[in-house]
Amino acid sequence: MLPNCRARGMGRQAKLTSVGRYLVFGVFLEVVALCLLFSFRFISVGSTIMLLVFNFLFVSLIFQLNGTMNRKFVLLALGNIIGLFWNFIFSLFSAAGIAYFGSVFSVFYSVVFPFLNLMWIVSFWSLSLSALPKPQGAGEVEP
Amino acid sequence: MIREVLEVLFILLTGVMIVYMVRHYVFTLSVLRRAKKLGITKPATHTTYAPSVTVLIPARNEERVIERLLQRMVELTYPKDKLEVIVIDDASSDNTGKIADAYAVRHEFIRVLHRNQNVGGKGKASALNAAFKSSRGEIILCFDADYCPQKDIVEKLVREFDDAKVGVVQGRPVVLNEPQNIITRLVALERIGGYRVDQEARNSLGLTPQFGGTVGGFRRRLLEELGGFDESMLTEDTDLTFQARLKGYKVRYTGEAECYEEAVDTWKAYWRQRHRWARGHMQVCFKHTWGVLKSKKLTVKEKIDGLLLLNVYFMPVITLLSFVVGVSLIIAGSSLLDSVLWFSVAVSFYSFVGNFAPFFEVGIGAYLDGRTRIQWLAPLLLFAFLYNIPICTKAFLDIAAAKMLRASRNNWAKTSHSGNGNRYIAN
Repeated sequence: MLPNCRARGMGRQAKLTSVGRYLVFGVFLEVVALCLLFSFRFISVGSTIMLLVFNFLFVSLIFQLNGTMNRKFVLLALGNIIGLFWNFIFSLFSAAGIAYFGSVFSVFYSVVFPFLNLMWIVSFWSLSLSALPKPQGAGEVEP
Repeated sequence: MIREVLEVLFILLTGVMIVYMVRHYVFTLSVLRRAKKLGITKPATHTTYAPSVTVLIPARNEERVIERLLQRMVELTYPKDKLEVIVIDDASSDNTGKIADAYAVRHEFIRVLHRNQNVGGKGKASALNAAFKSSRGEIILCFDADYCPQKDIVEKLVREFDDAKVGVVQGRPVVLNEPQNIITRLVALERIGGYRVDQEARNSLGLTPQFGGTVGGFRRRLLEELGGFDESMLTEDTDLTFQARLKGYKVRYTGEAECYEEAVDTWKAYWRQRHRWARGHMQVCFKHTWGVLKSKKLTVKEKIDGLLLLNVYFMPVITLLSFVVGVSLIIAGSSLLDSVLWFSVAVSFYSFVGNFAPFFEVGIGAYLDGRTRIQWLAPLLLFAFLYNIPICTKAFLDIAAAKMLRASRNNWAKTSHSGNGNRYIAN
């Protein structure tokens, strides 16, 4: 009887763990969705596009690499939060610039906006790769 | 009216850039899927195929690096009775010839072809043609003097020729002096993107990998059919790639065949090397575009990828142009710039760096190589790209001027090697 009880207990625990994992994924996805919503509602469509570019590249490429889904979802959510804050800060900077320099600053900001965004996307992308475990069989290339 | 014209131009330019980005995205995805399927290291396929091989080493003033390569030639595991090494001392004014002669005296399979100031110094294609005439191998491999191959590289490259349809094989160069400075680190990143992902994807997708003129080789029969290298081309390697494909031969890439190279370590040397590559590539583009389009030996996807490859050195010029047009449209208050098109211009700035690999391609390549830190430098690739804009623009203007003036002579800008890579070789 005892092994059966233990097996049943372990099965229930596994089921709970699995449910818990999905709940965690759900929370992270919610964070991503909220970041997109906030950027669209309170910053600009441009910032939402940049977050979408980041999410697309991240999900389609980095999600295929080694590492647990939890870690990848954490990185994805973190990237979105950083992107949201980055855009928020620069939108404040832009508002201040326009108030001080006039509409000329708005043109300047439009030109540099995608490049400013690429700075955080490329940097975060690069750092994320280091946070994932190395692929099996790969090592530093040595002469 | 002008605004409408600019808008159409902008749409066209960004359209071209988006096509290139999609191409690189597909390459990255394909390499990832393949790595997942096969594991990281490709299982070696064993073969008993062991043809006679000639290794050509063109060298002009390479006294600082030539000994390293010759020593490695001696250490190669390929049977020496089937191996012939020809060093082409291409009108060197330093001790390159003497060093090579010393090796030739000690090792029977090494020969030296001395070219004096009258016949030598006319470029790599000319030197290779001269040596090819006196070579005997069924398979011809080429190594630049600054390279240091793996001891079993000949076996790895040659086994691809077991397939009679394969005419050209390319191996993988890895930067030896990567820790030297920021330039060598950026070049290493470019190489990772270009070879670990780009070349490998082209190989596995049934497209045409590019022969790089070194760490690779070709079948003797192919070059005989072509009548040797075209000496009017600055990039005889890219020219050979397309000539081979148009003749119906396959081009293969084998990433296992690694060879360590000394990367350029100053911005000046970088300019000289990339300018030669850009100019040569554009020459090949003008020479083969029509041939690729009408070829019956290429599939539709090969034609599309071939055209994209031929035009790749125009991309920094196109990106710059689209940026200038885009900024003009923003100033003119065009509503078009509110769209996703403007963002693609920015993404493109990260998409055509160095060997023309986007940041995600470079990152995934570095990851698959097990490199944990080098990809942190990916944001700095923007500077390499910005540097490539004037390089490619100048190359384009030079080509245009040469066409207008009907000047056919090429100035061969040789990359000088400092020998700094020697200190990174493990004993």
